[in-house]
Amino acid sequence: MSARLAKQKGEWINRSTAVKFSFEGKEFSGFEGDSITSALWASGEQVIGRSFKYHRPRGILSFANHDVNIMLTDGMDTNIRGDVVPVRNGMALEAVNTDGGVKKDKNRFIDSISPLLPVGFYYKAFHTPRKLFPFWENIIRKAAGLGVVNFNYPRILKRKKHRHCDVLVIGAGASGLSAAYEAGKSGLRVMLVDENLQIGGSLGFDWGGTQEAANLLKDLLAKVESLPNVEVIAAAYAAGYYPDHLIPVVTADGMIKVRANAVIMASGAFEQPPVFRNNDIPGVMLGSAAQRLLHRYSVKPFSNGVVFTANDYGYRVAQDLLEAGIKVAAVVDLRSDAKDGPLAAQLARRGVKTISGSCIYEVQPNAGKTGVKSVTVAEYDEKLNEALTRSKVTIDCDGVAMCAGWAPAANLLYQAGTAMRYDYGVHQFVPNKLPAGIFAAGRVNGVYALEQKVQDGARAASLALRHIGLGTPELSSVSPSNTAQSHEYPVVPHPKGKNFVDFDEDIQVKDFINAAKEGFDNIELMKRFTTVGMGPSQGKHSNMNAIRILARVRGVPVEQIGTTTSRPFFHPTPIGHLGGRGFHPHRLTPLHDMNHKLGAVFTDVGAWKRAAYYQVPGLSLADTVLAEVEAVRTKAGIIDSSSFGKIEVHGPDAALFLERFFTGSYSVQPVGSSRYTMLLDESGVVIDDGLAHRLADDLFYLSSGTSNAAAVYREMQRWQQMWQLDIGLVNVTGSYAAINIAGPLARQVLSGLVNVSLDESAMPAQSICEAEIAGVPVRLIRVVFVSDTTYELHIPTPQAAFVWERVMGAGHALGLKPFGTDAQRLLRLEMGHAMPGIDTDGLTNPYEIGADHALSLDKPDFIGKRSLQIIAKRPLKKILVAFALDAGYAGEMPFECNLVIRDGEIEGRVTSIAYSRTVGRVIGFAYVAPDHSALESRFQIRADSGALVSATVVSSHFIAMQK
Amino acid sequence: MKLLTCPVNGTRPLSEFVFGGEYRVAPPADCTDAEWAAYVHNRSGAPGIKNEWWYHAPSGTWFIAERNTLTDKVMRTYLKGQEGSK
Amino acid sequence: MPLRLLKYALSKDYPGTRFFKAHETPKKSYDVVIIGGGGHGLAAAYYLAKEHGITNVAVLEKGYIGGGNTGRNTTIVRSNYLTPEGVKFYDASVKIYEGLSEELDLNLFYSTRGHFTLAHTESAMRTMRWRAEVNKHVGVESYVVGPDEISKACPQLDMSCSGQAPILGALYHAPGSVARHDGVAWGYARGADQLGVEIFQNTEVLGIDVKAGKVVGVNTNKGYIATSKVLSAVAGFTPRICEMVDLDTPIVIHPLQACVTEPMKPWLDTILVSGSLHVYVSQSSRGELVMGSSLDPYEVHSTRSTLDFVEGLTSHMLDMFPFLSNIKVVRQWAGMADMTPDFAPIMGKTPIEGFYLDAGWGTWGFKATPISGKTMAETIARDHAPDLIHSFRLSRFEDYELTGEKGAASVGH
Ligand SMILES: Cc1cc2nc3c(=O)[nH]c(=O)nc-3n(C[C@H](O)[C@H](O)[C@H](O)COP(=O)(O)OP(=O)(O)OC[C@H]3O[C@@H](n4cnc5c(N)ncnc54)[C@H](O)[C@@H]3O)c2cc1C
Repeated sequence: MSARLAKQKGEWINRSTAVKFSFEGKEFSGFEGDSITSALWASGEQVIGRSFKYHRPRGILSFANHDVNIMLTDGMDTNIRGDVVPVRNGMALEAVNTDGGVKKDKNRFIDSISPLLPVGFYYKAFHTPRKLFPFWENIIRKAAGLGVVNFNYPRILKRKKHRHCDVLVIGAGASGLSAAYEAGKSGLRVMLVDENLQIGGSLGFDWGGTQEAANLLKDLLAKVESLPNVEVIAAAYAAGYYPDHLIPVVTADGMIKVRANAVIMASGAFEQPPVFRNNDIPGVMLGSAAQRLLHRYSVKPFSNGVVFTANDYGYRVAQDLLEAGIKVAAVVDLRSDAKDGPLAAQLARRGVKTISGSCIYEVQPNAGKTGVKSVTVAEYDEKLNEALTRSKVTIDCDGVAMCAGWAPAANLLYQAGTAMRYDYGVHQFVPNKLPAGIFAAGRVNGVYALEQKVQDGARAASLALRHIGLGTPELSSVSPSNTAQSHEYPVVPHPKGKNFVDFDEDIQVKDFINAAKEGFDNIELMKRFTTVGMGPSQGKHSNMNAIRILARVRGVPVEQIGTTTSRPFFHPTPIGHLGGRGFHPHRLTPLHDMNHKLGAVFTDVGAWKRAAYYQVPGLSLADTVLAEVEAVRTKAGIIDSSSFGKIEVHGPDAALFLERFFTGSYSVQPVGSSRYTMLLDESGVVIDDGLAHRLADDLFYLSSGTSNAAAVYREMQRWQQMWQLDIGLVNVTGSYAAINIAGPLARQVLSGLVNVSLDESAMPAQSICEAEIAGVPVRLIRVVFVSDTTYELHIPTPQAAFVWERVMGAGHALGLKPFGTDAQRLLRLEMGHAMPGIDTDGLTNPYEIGADHALSLDKPDFIGKRSLQIIAKRPLKKILVAFALDAGYAGEMPFECNLVIRDGEIEGRVTSIAYSRTVGRVIGFAYVAPDHSALESRFQIRADSGALVSATVVSSHFIAMQK
Repeated sequence: MKLLTCPVNGTRPLSEFVFGGEYRVAPPADCTDAEWAAYVHNRSGAPGIKNEWWYHAPSGTWFIAERNTLTDKVMRTYLKGQEGSK
Repeated sequence: MPLRLLKYALSKDYPGTRFFKAHETPKKSYDVVIIGGGGHGLAAAYYLAKEHGITNVAVLEKGYIGGGNTGRNTTIVRSNYLTPEGVKFYDASVKIYEGLSEELDLNLFYSTRGHFTLAHTESAMRTMRWRAEVNKHVGVESYVVGPDEISKACPQLDMSCSGQAPILGALYHAPGSVARHDGVAWGYARGADQLGVEIFQNTEVLGIDVKAGKVVGVNTNKGYIATSKVLSAVAGFTPRICEMVDLDTPIVIHPLQACVTEPMKPWLDTILVSGSLHVYVSQSSRGELVMGSSLDPYEVHSTRSTLDFVEGLTSHMLDMFPFLSNIKVVRQWAGMADMTPDFAPIMGKTPIEGFYLDAGWGTWGFKATPISGKTMAETIARDHAPDLIHSFRLSRFEDYELTGEKGAASVGH
């Protein structure tokens, strides 16, 4: 049975292209331009979904982009919304969350046991006895959720665009179009966005049986289109409001992050269902839903309907139904004076009876509960808010259009911080105080009449332009409609309930009343206890009724109840739209390709990719590292240290700056030498260490570890702002590559390459000079981090690869091997160097790592000094010691972070540990109690298995223990 | 706040900035231990208008922002040492 | 279907009664005034009455109960911290939680799902091992697991994180749980109310009356209340309350945000945290993915949402679960986290006699609700803090004895 009407003007479907698809295994066809829901409805399908909790059959409710009882899957995607998503050829659709299909859903029994599921039932049961909770939880979890996620769904990243505009208008109905046009006349950049596939808002479907709206739409559209500076984007919803007028506009293919100087919310209103028994049976829908079906898709909502109204809007709906040839069995109006009005008279002329002061008491479903059989109408006592059931009449019909009123689509207004008030004329919340740069127009403002909406849009535009600084005259304000557009209390009690307020969550009137009985009589508590508004439609059709019910229960005016907080998003927004490309800032060294060619396996160090080791076919990781170490100890090794932080401090106060910044002394440091640097924070915690190389009286070159480099430079800049010394700071980390050549043959490798003498006397440990390698200027530094003979070359980045290759070439015959950070860690351990971040944690002070020698406490001041004076007075609780396991130890190998145990309590922990082939022992660093820190002290490490392993405190110059 | 004005580089998205905490002046070195400990650890955490360090990362500029931590509105920003000029 | 629900089906009049009485006007004086009707304040009231017989207690809540961070958090309960003091403390809380539904006769949906803190770098692996060792020592079930075990528990997880941050291992913590945050507040409220505690909503403390270094009363929007003992349990409002008594603390307020997706059939059984990707996620019993991230980078006393937050979070969620592209985020929100420099709370007595502080709960305080209530009740009743919270005393800062929990609390709340 087709419900499709004959072709009409303005319909959204293209009848020349048919679309074939299936739903629950049955073949259907619709037209291009149909939504899934409209195509199914046109084909006579009315049970398209099942409700979340009770698994009741559901059809169309609002048809306004938040009809969340209709969620489908096509096998690929899930939670597809039937009311928004266009139907496509070949779709094989099923409703989500059914057991055995939407028609025969086995879970429909839950509806009949609903008395066992009072409001908040899951708080009330299943927890005793405790043992059984997991059993019940499992059942509840299985029942939860809507669609099934497809784990093979592709990773789709949508595009993000950034846009600036002067005025952003949200909502392209009468007031939005008018606002965009008025704002656009100024020549400024205006954007007009609307969530619907076509522009026009309610002008496109709310006709009231005349051509007035359609004509106005044509007129406004033409005006807007005549302005090239007004950009109109349909099928694009404003997803949220964020500070400084940032509004993400979401379309099918991405997100436009719009930043506007002024924003006009012309977002309209959500129609609200009256609440009566069985108001959820398929065929019972909002009046605006019926109009949308009629005028967008040329589909009959039903063929013989009752209009249940509490406002004048219902009469417009009735007229539209009649125009489409649908029988209107009656108009039932909650208002007692309705039948005497002109609207009722107009209908009467077309043979439609108005029953005023009455309500639909209940809907009788047909045998299969798949649709409406009839409705029972009773008188409604507006004082007691009760149906007077002594006078019931039954009217046969196959559908109901519900028009009880509206709630403003004020979500973004709330998010922007608008104070709202309840207007007793129009019976709606309207903006009271708008934040700067935010304006409202149209129904969201309580303005309903066509002409007034246009005026209100123009007025909002004039204010927006004035806000931007144009001298536009301010237009006079349009006051909210003085006839109620919404009913104060469109709620019909019924002893048997099933009068739904929230269709997402299956919440009935009694649930609210009972929640209040249990003390949840504050709107936020009520929301949380009943879960009203927590479903995917986020209360768009339910929050207002919940507020009205609570006001009645408490006997206070509506505005005293207030509203719940509105949060982004306006519509649920896909993760792929929001996420976009993950941001993983990796930095590669200038020698990355060289390393790669040599078989490097990389590891993340801070933001950098560093070579951890160089893979040798057939060799285990441990042996690879040991071989790299051995090369350094017996011949020579080379490592890419380009990621080290490198900073130049120049100027007359350079030494003074270092004295204040680091713990050591630098003013008397000879030019050409290097000194250790340690940085503390103001609380005396060790942050970083490194070296200061003095290149000239007024020039220091600082190098430090990889991870902290950026943060340390930033701190230097900050302190310099405070100290205002006569220096300059330059971060040259990226300008220089660095490589270290280490080992007994290092000097031999380099001596033929550099233009300076490398003799011990000319280039002793801790010295620096400027030199050249094959014409490339380099900074040459003698360091001792990984071996006694180590040369560090700092090379201008563009020449880095060239120099690396020269060095590799020169070292080839001498057995020069690259080594990575794994070997480096072991090498430095053998040399007895503790490393911040590895051998310290976020609270370690220098005394705890035995770094007293690095502190020049006689300096006037340095960062952290004052705190050290306090710390020095307190007993040390732990201290870092070098240790070795017994020679020949062959038991379980402890790991880093295994604990040091004394008398069954935690004494400290191992921070570094490794087997050193060089030394022939397992060596490491550990925190122990101060009375365990003397050389030769023995302490116990608890290995993973729980076994205690004895260790001995030794001198940190492990290398001297060499067998 | 979603935008912040660097006194050198103009108005930029917040993602370019690093927050450096409240601008505070250390007590003299001869203060008591308790005074120093309080300076190091305590903060004036109550909402209000505060002078704060902010760092514009791409250009490496530290500056001071006078900001209301309740409303997140910035009154003005200036380079340290140039508080007088607007 | 449990029999307890039958009475709702069978009785004519709805058998439910108020969880707590609707008190409007406070009395002239109370033995103890608790500021803040979040989980912590209500739990403290409950234990004061239950364990110490102190029932002349008023809980003053400026909004509605549980409306602060208690009702905004992502409900992760765990005890796999880094310091032995922290682990012991949170473990005591987990133990109470395990029997709390029964004790309060309210189903808190305390759901033990197992908790994985993923490590993507060697240095993260070190921290995991450290935590595991300390946890084991204290008797808490935590251990380092490899990629295989992670995959087994969560086969949907892309172990390479889209090639961006391969997972090397994780700290697995079997007792890791989630619960209904609202229920915790309501359950304690009901328990306290039944024992005689008076709970006042819409009642804001505007000032604290201190004479000669001693608390003598509080000023509220409903008048003056005399009392010699005041507990501040106001989380994100702590600096404002401390300002009333001129007490300096290290606490600064940063927003912490979270979001949820629309419901889908449960597939994620465990709780996952990734420090490197700055995300954590669990799936609620409604079927929503509850997701969060690290703290907002700067101080604001506001619960505003930002787009940066969801963009960053969802990008990284896609690294872990690429198939979520078309799953929709329904709602985002924020709370005001009261942060301390060492990521440990501040609990106990203060230099002002009769002013007790329960604060510094930052991003991690939901899990501590029962134990903080219990220990603060004891502190108030005896005017002496139990050993269990000694490491959290306010004076630790002056003593330079911080309790370093940053390594265990920065992303995984
Ligand atoms: C997004 C988010 C996620 C989180 N996730 C977790 C998590 O997974 N696990 C975890 O353990 N923790 C988590 N937390 C932290 C946790 O929520 C909090 O630490 C905890 O809820 C604090 O509880 P509370 O009772 O101390 O404070 P709150 O619940 O905030 O209660 C304080 C109450 O004090 C009231 N108040 C304030 N000032 C006054 C006044 N002057 N007079 C009267 N009343 C006043 C407030 O209105 C409020 O209701 C998270 C926090 C957030 C924001």
